[in-house]
Amino acid sequence: MSDELDFKPSQDLSIGVELELQILNSRDYNLSRDAADLLSLLDKIEHPGEIKPEITESMIELNSSIHTDYEALLAELRKIRDTVVRAAAQLNLRIAGGGSHPFHDWCERRIYPTERFKQLLEVYGYLAKQFTVFGQHIHIGCPDGDAAIYLTHSLSRYVPHFIVLSASSPFQQGSDTGFQSSRLNTVSAFPLSGTMPLLKTWNDFNSYYKKMRGYRIVESMKDFYWDIRPKPEYGTVEIRVFDTPLTVERAALLAAYVQTLAYYIFVKRPLPASEDVYLVYKYNRFQACRYGFDANYIDVYLQQQLSLQQDILNTLKLLLPYSARLHTEKALDNLYTDVITRRSDAVWLREAHRKFGSLNDVARCQSEEWVGQTLTLA
Amino acid sequence: MNNIEFLPKFPLSANPFALFGVLLLAGVLGGELTRRVLNLPRITGYVLIGLTLGASGLNVLDTKMFDYMHIFFDVGLGLILFELGRRLDFTWLRHDRSLVILALAESLLSFGCMFAALRWFGIEPLYSAVAAAVGVSSSPAIVMLVARELKAEGQITERALSLVAINSVVAFVLTTMLLSWVHHEYHASWLIALLHPIYILVGSLYIGFLASVLVLVLARWFGKKIELHLTLLLAVIVLLVGAAEVFKLSVLIALLTFGVLVRNLDRDHALMPVDFGSFDQAFFIVLFVATGAMLQIGDLVASFGIAAGYIAARFVGKSIGVLCFAHLSGIRAGSGGLLSITLLPMSGIALTMTYSAGNLYPEFSAKLAAIVLAAALILELVGPVAVQFALRSAGETREAI
Repeated sequence: MSDELDFKPSQDLSIGVELELQILNSRDYNLSRDAADLLSLLDKIEHPGEIKPEITESMIELNSSIHTDYEALLAELRKIRDTVVRAAAQLNLRIAGGGSHPFHDWCERRIYPTERFKQLLEVYGYLAKQFTVFGQHIHIGCPDGDAAIYLTHSLSRYVPHFIVLSASSPFQQGSDTGFQSSRLNTVSAFPLSGTMPLLKTWNDFNSYYKKMRGYRIVESMKDFYWDIRPKPEYGTVEIRVFDTPLTVERAALLAAYVQTLAYYIFVKRPLPASEDVYLVYKYNRFQACRYGFDANYIDVYLQQQLSLQQDILNTLKLLLPYSARLHTEKALDNLYTDVITRRSDAVWLREAHRKFGSLNDVARCQSEEWVGQTLTLA
Repeated sequence: MNNIEFLPKFPLSANPFALFGVLLLAGVLGGELTRRVLNLPRITGYVLIGLTLGASGLNVLDTKMFDYMHIFFDVGLGLILFELGRRLDFTWLRHDRSLVILALAESLLSFGCMFAALRWFGIEPLYSAVAAAVGVSSSPAIVMLVARELKAEGQITERALSLVAINSVVAFVLTTMLLSWVHHEYHASWLIALLHPIYILVGSLYIGFLASVLVLVLARWFGKKIELHLTLLLAVIVLLVGAAEVFKLSVLIALLTFGVLVRNLDRDHALMPVDFGSFDQAFFIVLFVATGAMLQIGDLVASFGIAAGYIAARFVGKSIGVLCFAHLSGIRAGSGGLLSITLLPMSGIALTMTYSAGNLYPEFSAKLAAIVLAAALILELVGPVAVQFALRSAGETREAI
């Protein structure tokens, strides 16, 4: 196998979404272990996109096809969601979004029996089972490797936005963590998590990759658990910091936001890759995970500090002319309203907990919200 | 005053607390030995130790103690039936109707096969019918406890428990209805023959319903406090067992109804999904030891042929029912066979049914016991091993990575 990574070009600004989902039992809404049965049942049913196993038997992953249009993406996600929910109901299972299951016990998880997942258990030990957290990955198509590297660095500035807009993991292992997104703390434990080094071109990236392979630290791109990484075999940049939202509608909104941002970045090329972004990166990221909209955000390009809520609102205003061309205005408008009113899935989950009083109910609400049937919490 | 009256009098008399302790201790030891030495499920060990202590063995637990044991037995059974009822989810049955079809098919086919087999052995129709009805039910206790011991979870486990719940209901209803025939056989008036089954069925359903309403109302008022819900459920379960006995109703139907309704009437999820955890384990151990003690090896020797035929017919009926319809449900190909193995065990419920019939007509009970109890003894010992095998083969136990 050659060590050289070829970047397979793809259509600019095309988008694709992966959603890791929770499989729950309908008795106490704990995670179940039925991924294999659910997947084999889904094999027999025709559906768009792809449905795959994930690291433990309590998870499955939905993949959309490649889209350029937000509405089409949303329509497809709804179709896949309905197929999965119906198959799950036949097995008396429920499907839920959300970045974490509120009360499952990580040591009860079982690894999905494929060679790769078994090997991950071997390498990472208990971290592999703790990795039963649920993220959304968004892919954006890039014309070439250099563009992908540039986009990866440029998007780093917006990682706190992605975190707060998708945050849906306030509860972990039976407790309120005080975080809006606690899922990313689980990801941070992995040695190859974090950010891509400050490389400027695809050639630089290739030499770095060769070195890492030479040291046998990685075998393939899959071993990098970075927040944002180039994905040469798809010709995309993949953003991985999102918690899986509670609904596919929100998942599609986030994809529209990323698509518009990428468009702005490619057209305006406003942000050179900067070492300073990575100086404050962890601070900004932590603030977003912990405090959500109230986080303090350090903007190294403008040398200022402001609330994360304000920074997102500013960005959304900035994107207005670009969204018109991509037909994402409506999506961004919805997002704007949510940010102004400080609505997020994490807030919603805490309200559900206050209203119903138990984490079983929170998990139940997550599964009902996934199919759009939860009663309003007000 | 005689100054040694503060000392206990000899011979010492039996005491329910001591008996409970002895049964429990013996059960734990037997279970552990069976697990470590023979690598069989602990439940088989509980039954073996019961047999050893009972009339067939050392005769430590004689018939005089059966009255005490009866209480523990019923509470244990009540807990299990409640738990089982709570597993039966009407929403699921609506989504996957094949499960209901499958359950009814295996229940009725096994009834037919057992009835035919017993008739072939020359047993009178009434006894064949009642024995076949008793055999329709698979053991909730064995399936649930083996699943719990192995921490099994998955489609086969869930379906096995739902099938057990449904075939238990079918068995209870069949045996209760057959009571009319029993009354008729023993020349009771037609009014009694008609009213008795109706009284038992309707009465048991009704107290089960009342209990579930009581629990749901109180649970709503308590709010989501897990300790309160746990206490509430335990209190009502024991109360319901007592009420069923006082009103001469069926503990089985009442508790199962309670479990089913408390889950399925709870539209706004007022009751928390309480897990009894290891609390009820003690009652289950005593239940199995007591079952073992009540069984008699003599029965087995006397009617081994009939018992073997009965078991074979039962297994054939259940397997055909499951295998014919398993493909309709969403389980993986090939799991139908494993599912039918999980239905093999037959248990203490057969005992209770036999003995409760005995309260009315001892002669009837004795004849029935000769047919059913030998089979119960065999399946009580083999059943846990079969369920363990099926759940392990299905890959649903915790042992995998």
